[in-house]
Amino acid sequence: MSLKDTAIIAHAELKVMERSDRDVWQLGAEVLEQLLDRSGLEKREIDGLAMATSSTGAGNMFWPQATADMLGLELDYCDEVMMGGCSPVACVARAAAAINAGLCTTVLILYADTGVAEPNAHDRSYRREWTEPYGLMGPPGGFGLLTRSYEQRYGLDYALLGKLAVTQRNHALLNDMACEKLRKPITVADYLGSRMIAEPIRLLDCVMRADGAAGLILTSRKRAKEKGIARYVVPTGYAERVNYRAGEAFADPLESGHVVAGPRALKQAGIAIGDIASFHPYDDFLIAMVLQMEALGFCRPGEGMAYVRDTNFAYDGDLPLNTGGGQISAGQAACSSENLVEAVEQLMGEAGARQVRDTRNALVTGIGWINYGRNWGASAALVLEPGA
Amino acid sequence: MNAELNDTLAVARVLKPYSFSLPFWDATREKKLLIQYCRASGRYQHPVRPTSIYTGRRSDLEWREVSGRGTLYSWTIADRGPPAFRGHEPYAVASVMLEEGALFIANLVHCSRDALLEGMKLVPSWHPLGDGRHLPMFQPA
Repeated sequence: MSLKDTAIIAHAELKVMERSDRDVWQLGAEVLEQLLDRSGLEKREIDGLAMATSSTGAGNMFWPQATADMLGLELDYCDEVMMGGCSPVACVARAAAAINAGLCTTVLILYADTGVAEPNAHDRSYRREWTEPYGLMGPPGGFGLLTRSYEQRYGLDYALLGKLAVTQRNHALLNDMACEKLRKPITVADYLGSRMIAEPIRLLDCVMRADGAAGLILTSRKRAKEKGIARYVVPTGYAERVNYRAGEAFADPLESGHVVAGPRALKQAGIAIGDIASFHPYDDFLIAMVLQMEALGFCRPGEGMAYVRDTNFAYDGDLPLNTGGGQISAGQAACSSENLVEAVEQLMGEAGARQVRDTRNALVTGIGWINYGRNWGASAALVLEPGA
Repeated sequence: MNAELNDTLAVARVLKPYSFSLPFWDATREKKLLIQYCRASGRYQHPVRPTSIYTGRRSDLEWREVSGRGTLYSWTIADRGPPAFRGHEPYAVASVMLEEGALFIANLVHCSRDALLEGMKLVPSWHPLGDGRHLPMFQPA
């Protein structure tokens, strides 16, 4: 049994909200009902639950089981994955491992968070001692430092970052589930003119935190076939790397664990980076996508600007990029699962007006946390392919 | 954009050290910069950790006083800081490559925006915390 022997048989997502008007468990229940409708499963057939890091659930030592209790789920596997923005893809890998290890057969992967309406998270890390006394603002500050490094080393054409912002915004305009506040057209000039937050990071470089929920049902391919499910999506390659170069005094802030996780995931899937049909990278900041293009091998280090200039990232372009709008234009919600759920929807052929032509595969990534003066702390890559 | 950067010296700082970094903060009373050194690997490390990041053995660590001389590696200008820094923007937060090979993040003070240059030489600037301790910052050499 391997990763490839499992199948995502259903996906669900709620419309992203600036601030949730419902409790996080109500959102979870809405997702569960959609998943039951779409998969044809009965609730009793779900015997596993994997939940991603959530701001609302943070601090509750019993978060997944308390959630399962609310949803009336009796389980053989119940887990919470706490890897920040890597958690959505990491949930898929862990749920698959649990199925393959015989712990359970069918897992509800639930991404529910109301971090705007009910934030309970707190940071305990180097930050309180080594960056907060200096007023370095969390992620924008960290990305400010690494963006400056990129600019110094390779040069940075901010209009090309603006191109990524506009492409994703155009995708959000086609995505009814994106946060309504963000569904307004923008131009490169709007991006360049947006106010500075942590120079050289501008407002339109950043995600806006939002509330929402989404979910997947993962089971074995064998079971999917037994149930007569015709369309599903198979995770064919996955890898993660946490704290790249942790045991070294210095790590290049422009280099991430994706240089390791990307090739490993692709090798497991048996494809090359040039075979990727659509790309759904974690996007907390625009520059993060450029760094991932370089780390994953779409282009070489330092050639990201030329690659962005020469590539059409629209849903009907050369390499469709975050076709739901990405987090930056859909709102960072549902435990940062939106890019993953979008990729599943694309491979299911259900993306409507923004449907990509080539659905042979999709590459989804995750980023979690930021190390002191380095790149992001966790890097994950997941290759998805349609099953048959 | 404003060429003048705020040195943020009027901002009240709250230190919440972990037990294993208390020697670092104690040494700032005498304006001494201590960096952790791993005897087994012959290398420095920062920020302060409870163990050697090279060997995983706490017993390999010792404190060494360093000059604090370094060069500007990268920087960001905060245009909107956290609550305590509100009204003191814009200010610079820099990553400084110490001569010993460790990166140190701190405010860069007594430096105009136009003077910021990658690789510029920097030295410590000790900001009194009011309790005898100092917060290490950096300024142009």
